[in-house]
Amino acid sequence: MKGFLRFLKKLFGICAVIYGILFVVFYWDLDGKFMYYIWEPFMVKRFDNMKREDNTKIPYMKKDILEPREYTEIY
Amino acid sequence: MKLNMKDIKAKYRELFVVEKAPEDKNKPKDIKKMARDFWYGKPHEERRLGDLYVGDTGLYKHREWRGLPDTMYYFNMVWLYNYAHMVTDIIKYGDGPMGLIDFAKGTMRYRWMGQTYLTVMHWFDRGMEGMRGEAMKASAWHYRGMVSETIRQFQEMFIADKKMHGGKEGKHYDKNIAHNETVGGSFFYPFRGQLEDIPLEMIPYFVSVHVNSHTVLNYIDAAQSIGLPSDPCPMCQAEYGLFVHDDYPDFAPAMVTTNEACDGSVATSVLQDWFLDRPLYALPQPMRYDDPLVQKNHQKEIEQCWKFIEDQYGVKFDWDTYVKTAQSFNKLTEFEWEKWDVAANTPYYPISGVAQALYRIYYSQDGDRPIWHEMDEHVRKIMNKTVKNKIETFPKTRHRAIAWSCAPLYYSHWCTWAYNCWGINCVINMDSLMFDQYLRTDTYENALEDLSWMNEKAPMRAMAVGGQEHILSLFDYMERFNCDMVIMYDQLQCKGMQGIHGVFEDEFRKRNIHAIWVPHALPDKRTVSRKEIRKIISDYMTTVMHEEPLDPTLVEFDDDKSW
Repeated sequence: MKGFLRFLKKLFGICAVIYGILFVVFYWDLDGKFMYYIWEPFMVKRFDNMKREDNTKIPYMKKDILEPREYTEIY
Repeated sequence: MKLNMKDIKAKYRELFVVEKAPEDKNKPKDIKKMARDFWYGKPHEERRLGDLYVGDTGLYKHREWRGLPDTMYYFNMVWLYNYAHMVTDIIKYGDGPMGLIDFAKGTMRYRWMGQTYLTVMHWFDRGMEGMRGEAMKASAWHYRGMVSETIRQFQEMFIADKKMHGGKEGKHYDKNIAHNETVGGSFFYPFRGQLEDIPLEMIPYFVSVHVNSHTVLNYIDAAQSIGLPSDPCPMCQAEYGLFVHDDYPDFAPAMVTTNEACDGSVATSVLQDWFLDRPLYALPQPMRYDDPLVQKNHQKEIEQCWKFIEDQYGVKFDWDTYVKTAQSFNKLTEFEWEKWDVAANTPYYPISGVAQALYRIYYSQDGDRPIWHEMDEHVRKIMNKTVKNKIETFPKTRHRAIAWSCAPLYYSHWCTWAYNCWGINCVINMDSLMFDQYLRTDTYENALEDLSWMNEKAPMRAMAVGGQEHILSLFDYMERFNCDMVIMYDQLQCKGMQGIHGVFEDEFRKRNIHAIWVPHALPDKRTVSRKEIRKIISDYMTTVMHEEPLDPTLVEFDDDKSW
């Protein structure tokens, strides 16, 4: 029983420390500062340098064969 | 790079230290007042919210102290609650823990995801700045609903996405149907359960601009980089820019698109048809819908859309599912009417202008989903409490404003600033009043007629470019919602609204209405900055209204680089 109480106390202590750290992150806007100064520049660099398909090379030719008259006919 | 102690101290001051107001510097300490401010937060006029910003970044030196109960509520039930539920939503909507991997892959693949949505808690902060008590709580529930639904949509896209699965169709690919963000989710009610309808641009473009206004600029520039003109609505440019930039997920074998709100944006459908290169049905939103002949024609087009879906997916129109889903959606509409009633006739309405506008446009466009009902229940409880106990939710209201026409997406939270700085309470807005259509389910004919009307009352369709008589309904709503001021959005690249500018000027003068024109370019913050918007409003409040700001630190500050 004593061991269990000690465990509970320890668990409560750990949770309280984590909760305190999270409050510090929240109050000082550390999540926002991390996103703004570290994460976003890293992502911008990544996406700016990413190789992308040139979609303008897709031929525009399926139109005539894909739409039967019944979808477009107005009566 | 060499860092000395002086630089570190300067950086620390820049990022964390809020300078005292000059008048407070030599004041003796008042312990009683300090204790009161600790518990309740500072009175509105003493908050100096503008001092909390880090330069022009929009970041906070520290988040606002709202008093102990409200700060702890915001920390526990908004910040922690939402971060935690984002993780559970990612798993839930990603078909289990593997959803975390799809989420990570999507974050690294798509600019609108990796650069944008992780900053979501700042979107909450901007929307709820200065708010206290029930208003803060109810508005946060609306934001929570939007976040959850956004996660559902992008996870549905990611798990099916060909681009993220080596060119192979992911899970549920052949059960997904993509549609333009302005095609209402209600059209797909007969197929719910058989198919998953997912708007293609709502998450990559529309919602992303509200959360982080940086990302969309890439899509607008991409569209113009292939020689497309720069003067159409930047919303359309961003929508097809996603394709030019190759930043759209490939999650469905067919697409339903539309002419959106204006004939100018028909080009979006044409370009999407080219880039998607797959079966596509264009479901129009009629322009002059008062003509009775248009009704029959449009109903026929809806039926043809349903036939297209049946042919492409081998599914059947299910009347019972339509009835069930439409009736469920009607419950959301009924609650919306209750909210409008409280907003129009009492000072106890607990939803901020930005939460009202975004939540309403999001759920009415998206259609019936369980999360909206869950959020409405939370808000209903809060609203019942504010009405029953006569809690004035925005006690510093000097003016009750109605916002008309299309809002600047990059500054949808202007109304939070306007209330904090000038006491302008934006009670209702045009986008909230869209889709105001009860869906009858007694007969097929009635259901079709109402669905058709609903589409004709889509965002921007009715009251922006739907004909003069609808656009001028502003004045009826102004009276209905007991407003004494109009915030008139002036979307500089909307040819429809530009055409009627003079008519509004005449009407405002004739009716002796205080109207503030707010120019903007929808998602593009480069055309008219947020700072310029604030200056226009502040100038009007000082030169025309002869009023003093409630919080002088908010009159002039720079946030050009903020999300």
